[in-house]
Amino acid sequence: MLHNNRNIRLLMSIFLLCPLLLSGCWDAQEIEQRATVLAIGIDEVNMDEDNQKSEGNIAHSVNKFPIPEKDMIRVTAQIAVPGRIPLGPAQGSGGDTTKPVLIVKVVGHTLQDALVNLQQQIAFEVFLGQLRIIVLNEKVAKKGTQRFNDFLRRNPEIRRTASLVVSKESASSYMKLIPELQRIPALYLADMVDNLSALGRFPPSFIGLYWTILSSKGQDPYLPYLTIKDKSSIQLSGLAYFNEDKMAGKTTPLEIGYFMAIKGIAQGGYSVFIKVPDQDEEVLVRAISRKSKIKVSLKDGKPHVDIKIRYESEIEEKGSQNILINDSKIVRKIEKEASKDVSKSLKKLIVKTQKAESDIFGFGEHFRAKFPKYWNKQIETKEKWNKVYKDLTYDIHVESRIHRVGMKAK
Amino acid sequence: MSLFRKMKRTKISDKTKPMTIPSKVVMDQNKIPDSLAETEEKIRGILGKNDDFLVKRFKIFGQFSAAIFYFSNLVNQDIINKDIIRPLMYVPEHLANREKTLKNLIEIIMEETLYHGQSKVEERLDELLTVLLRGETVIFIDGIKEGINISTREVEHRSVSQPETEQVILGPREGFIENIDSNIAMLRYRLPTADFQVRSMKIGRLTKSTVYYCYIKGIANETVVHEVEKRLSAIEIDAIMDAGYLEQFIEDNHFTPFPQIQSTERPDKTVANLAEGRVAILVDGSPFALLVPVVFNQFYQTTEDYSSRFLMGTFARFARMLALVFSLIFPSLYVSLIAFNPELLPTEFAVAVAGGRAGVPYPAVVEVLIIEISMEILREATVRLPRQVGGALSIVGVLVVGQAAVEAGLASPITVVVIALTTIGSFATPAYTAAFALRMLRFPIMILAGIFGLYGVMVGIILTFNHLLSLKSFGVPYMAPVSPEDKQGMKDVVTRSPLWWMSKRPDFLQTVNRTRHDQDDQNQ
Amino acid sequence: MEYPRNITTVQATTILISTIIGVGVLPLPLFAVQGGGTGAPLVTFAGIVLAASGLFILTILGIRHPQKTLISYSEDIVGKWIGRFFSIIVISFFLFLSGLAAREFGEVVVSAVLRETPLEITVIVMLLIACISVRYNINTFAYIHNFYVPAILAPGLIIVALSLKNANPLYLRPIMESNLTSMLKGMLTISALFQGSFIVTMIIPFMKNPRKAKKASFWSIFITGSFYLLIVIATVAVFGPEEIKQIFWPTLELARTTAVPGNILQRLDVIFLAVWVTAVFTTLFSSYYFTIFSIKQLCKLKDHRLLSFFIMPFVFFLAMMPQNILQLYGVIKLVGKAGLLITILYPGLLLMIDIFKSWRKKKRAAQQS
Repeated sequence: MLHNNRNIRLLMSIFLLCPLLLSGCWDAQEIEQRATVLAIGIDEVNMDEDNQKSEGNIAHSVNKFPIPEKDMIRVTAQIAVPGRIPLGPAQGSGGDTTKPVLIVKVVGHTLQDALVNLQQQIAFEVFLGQLRIIVLNEKVAKKGTQRFNDFLRRNPEIRRTASLVVSKESASSYMKLIPELQRIPALYLADMVDNLSALGRFPPSFIGLYWTILSSKGQDPYLPYLTIKDKSSIQLSGLAYFNEDKMAGKTTPLEIGYFMAIKGIAQGGYSVFIKVPDQDEEVLVRAISRKSKIKVSLKDGKPHVDIKIRYESEIEEKGSQNILINDSKIVRKIEKEASKDVSKSLKKLIVKTQKAESDIFGFGEHFRAKFPKYWNKQIETKEKWNKVYKDLTYDIHVESRIHRVGMKAK
Repeated sequence: MSLFRKMKRTKISDKTKPMTIPSKVVMDQNKIPDSLAETEEKIRGILGKNDDFLVKRFKIFGQFSAAIFYFSNLVNQDIINKDIIRPLMYVPEHLANREKTLKNLIEIIMEETLYHGQSKVEERLDELLTVLLRGETVIFIDGIKEGINISTREVEHRSVSQPETEQVILGPREGFIENIDSNIAMLRYRLPTADFQVRSMKIGRLTKSTVYYCYIKGIANETVVHEVEKRLSAIEIDAIMDAGYLEQFIEDNHFTPFPQIQSTERPDKTVANLAEGRVAILVDGSPFALLVPVVFNQFYQTTEDYSSRFLMGTFARFARMLALVFSLIFPSLYVSLIAFNPELLPTEFAVAVAGGRAGVPYPAVVEVLIIEISMEILREATVRLPRQVGGALSIVGVLVVGQAAVEAGLASPITVVVIALTTIGSFATPAYTAAFALRMLRFPIMILAGIFGLYGVMVGIILTFNHLLSLKSFGVPYMAPVSPEDKQGMKDVVTRSPLWWMSKRPDFLQTVNRTRHDQDDQNQ
Repeated sequence: MEYPRNITTVQATTILISTIIGVGVLPLPLFAVQGGGTGAPLVTFAGIVLAASGLFILTILGIRHPQKTLISYSEDIVGKWIGRFFSIIVISFFLFLSGLAAREFGEVVVSAVLRETPLEITVIVMLLIACISVRYNINTFAYIHNFYVPAILAPGLIIVALSLKNANPLYLRPIMESNLTSMLKGMLTISALFQGSFIVTMIIPFMKNPRKAKKASFWSIFITGSFYLLIVIATVAVFGPEEIKQIFWPTLELARTTAVPGNILQRLDVIFLAVWVTAVFTTLFSSYYFTIFSIKQLCKLKDHRLLSFFIMPFVFFLAMMPQNILQLYGVIKLVGKAGLLITILYPGLLLMIDIFKSWRKKKRAAQQS
């Protein structure tokens, strides 16, 4: 009997507590009542009167608050509108002429500042959990990205797998694009960037990796560099390399392939024209996979790097009918020529980055790992390494192997 | 064995006296009067007005007055006529020259005359009345203070058919019926071993239902058997209509949604469980046999698992377990994902779901609760409908209703899909009682999910599992063989291991004999 | 003891494993890196060794007194009042530990997942579950831990395995980076994460075979140690020590960076958090159970169930004391180090005194005969 009483008392107390808990489902927010921000573009903007006024006294009083020294930024957000993006396959021509996303522009002194202003304009609570891509305008990137990193790190909603890209044009133009292949423009953009690494066009890059590399002492980060072509298509135009958090320059798309070679990223994807020796013709050779070995050493107390790269390639196309690829000797010749070419281009790339004091290859990490005494005595900070990197000596050996020629016999 | 030390007290009183006849019918005098007329008067006085109670007077061997008492609806009239009255009325040849007196009459009747196999001499009147009420025939002879009772019971019962609640594709199609003797027969012919013991008891003041509890001596743990006996005898109730009544009295914990006793209509399942060391309890009037002790993983096993080859069995079991999990947490997961953590969903999907929900006027939790409750009501309704109509109003009908709800803007399409999958999942659980438990538990977990999201779901799951882990069924931990780990038992939990691997009985039943078969024998 | 001895060796192992793996899993790499930089795995390993030795001492003590828990036999060894005094210290330490664990849990949930929910509510809910569960007897206690262990270990291992594709082995070198002092400090902090193993003193009296407790202790430290080591190695390899220094809960970030192949589910960290709730629950369950049980033994009460609700407000009060998360971690580190004195030094002293006493007894017996 006593036992039953206890059970009942327990149940009662639990039941009595429940209404307290029901007093608020604090975090519940219906999915259709969130303003899901899918993509953000950041441009820089003058700190003129108009912009300051348009900001409104939302996060701070204009002119009365210590304003961060840096320039203001304009944030363009692409927000998904619930209800206009249906599940299931797209309905045919009778479909919607209304836009499935909402584009909003705000200005602010920092990223969170701008987002606060953004919230002011939107009925629903801004939700950053599905944020897939952040586009930085080149000018903003050149001035330094660290100002955004703090907010992005503190906010738990932001995914580490979001993409960060640098754009030539203004970021807001990217937000306004309406590509043909996807219903939601931001997703097209995000998918494109995600697929870059799958297709072998770019090393894996997501914002988490960017932060990790930024924090490491012996490495500088890099980001994809995009441009808009013909008003509605986006193109990867190179790799933006950074000196710490400031953008220092960009490479050409082909140089991305060489960059990936040094980093040893296996997924190949770039094709180059290789001149067939003794003939004036060219063949198109595509890299299938790459392997690299980096050895670091100290020569007279100065850092030196030995880079060995091994390519596995495939002949994709002949430049003209005059070449005959039916003999392994010819293939061997093409291989040698390819190795020479690649070597040259690699050297060019390294020189380029050395000028900008941007060690995107991560040689510094190798030194930090393998020669800790040297590192701790001579270098210790990232800046110092960047200076030392300028005078880094190196040796490059490239070996190309062409294992495949496709389905054609000659 | 200290299995039962911490058994919780239930409503069963501590008294362990066996059942007695209720006082109203208890006679102060249990003696049978000498005179036949007096006896008849007495009996009629106790039984009251019953038009189906017949008394036929006749003379045994032409000499002795006797009367035969029986209830006409309960007996096989043929037997009475041919095997009882006839031999008694006519003097058989071998007795023609014997001297028959009152003194040796009983002996002559019992040992040399009656053609009946089940007959007894009884001198207590209350006992004779009890058996009379059961359908046996009683003969009183003028001048003798004893009565003879002969078993002549025959009641209408349905024929053996496939059990409705447990249908299988591969396996026997026999199911228990209401008549307990047929049921025991079905068990006996499957277990022609001397170790199969059947003990009986009568429970219920009015119904005096025969309760048989069976076990296999040498396999079942004696403590369990004693415990069963103890609990059964402690039951005080007026009417037992079904085995379910018994279940409610003898289970360990009344306040849990989870059943601690398994009921089945299938004799093959009963025999399989007896062979593992369990005790089966059958009640006259109910086609369900109760099996104790029980562990949780029995509730998603079916006989078909064992009749099929082990790959089939394993695959089917996986599907069932998945369905079980679904039926418990799917709606809660849906609510958590939609209302708390949409970042878990792939982006296109998340945005599209938002579209589906855009027209619905209330929060996801409320929407899910409304549809769940409607589903439950519909389910209860379909059970009551006659077969022809019920089939149409099944899941398909419900989905149509769901579709209409979607178009009316009362629900979003994804919700309907989620709820439908949940319901189908709960049907996939073979044990009706366990499925019911999960159905009930769905609701608190949904509410927790509505308050705390995924965290709430986890809290609910933790509380549920903790509760499950603390349950015991007749001394056996409910979550064995997962929780007190047992290698042999684990072979049968998730996968259905091949029969030749499972050579030992599961540990948790603490059986006397642990070996099912010798593994080396498999090639013979 | 009233209860029969029913806990098998495997159950004892699982109890220890699930008790140790708890809320500390999340900031673990941060502590390791703060102590050792790229030498974090080494620091972790050192911490594990220290914790293992502590557990070893406790196990041996327990085997020498197989019928009693620490509360009882400490009175035997050092005398009633000293024993009781230290027992009170031990109990209050575990009370504190329970409170801090609940609070840390609440902080993580409120920062990462349920941002609008008040901290008190998350803490109270967790404490309530612990309260309700503490009312079961010790066999159910064992079953619960036994049951949840695979659910705790598996996701961690899966996430570690999936994240390795982003790993950069250069981050793990050089093997020893910082100076010895900071490495020692890190080692102590990490060792403090294993303090839950103290519960072995409560378990041994109920084990079927107390002699096998050594095996249980060994395996539990081995498994939890490897688990923790793997997590540290994975996080350091993926993020690098510099990045980790900027993250409160690197393990969580690791889960976030991992993606199920095929992108079926993104943001695995929410799932990881959901599963981690069970790990925190088991840890809290253990420390709270230990507290209640020990109070019961100390005060010679009959039943520990009444205490569960009575003590909870104290735990809640302790949990709410730190004002913010930074203060919380300061307190945790401090309490952790103090705890090492209680969980390693004190048993060590007990063991020495105990050995000394029995040696003296043998000598006296030998002299007399």
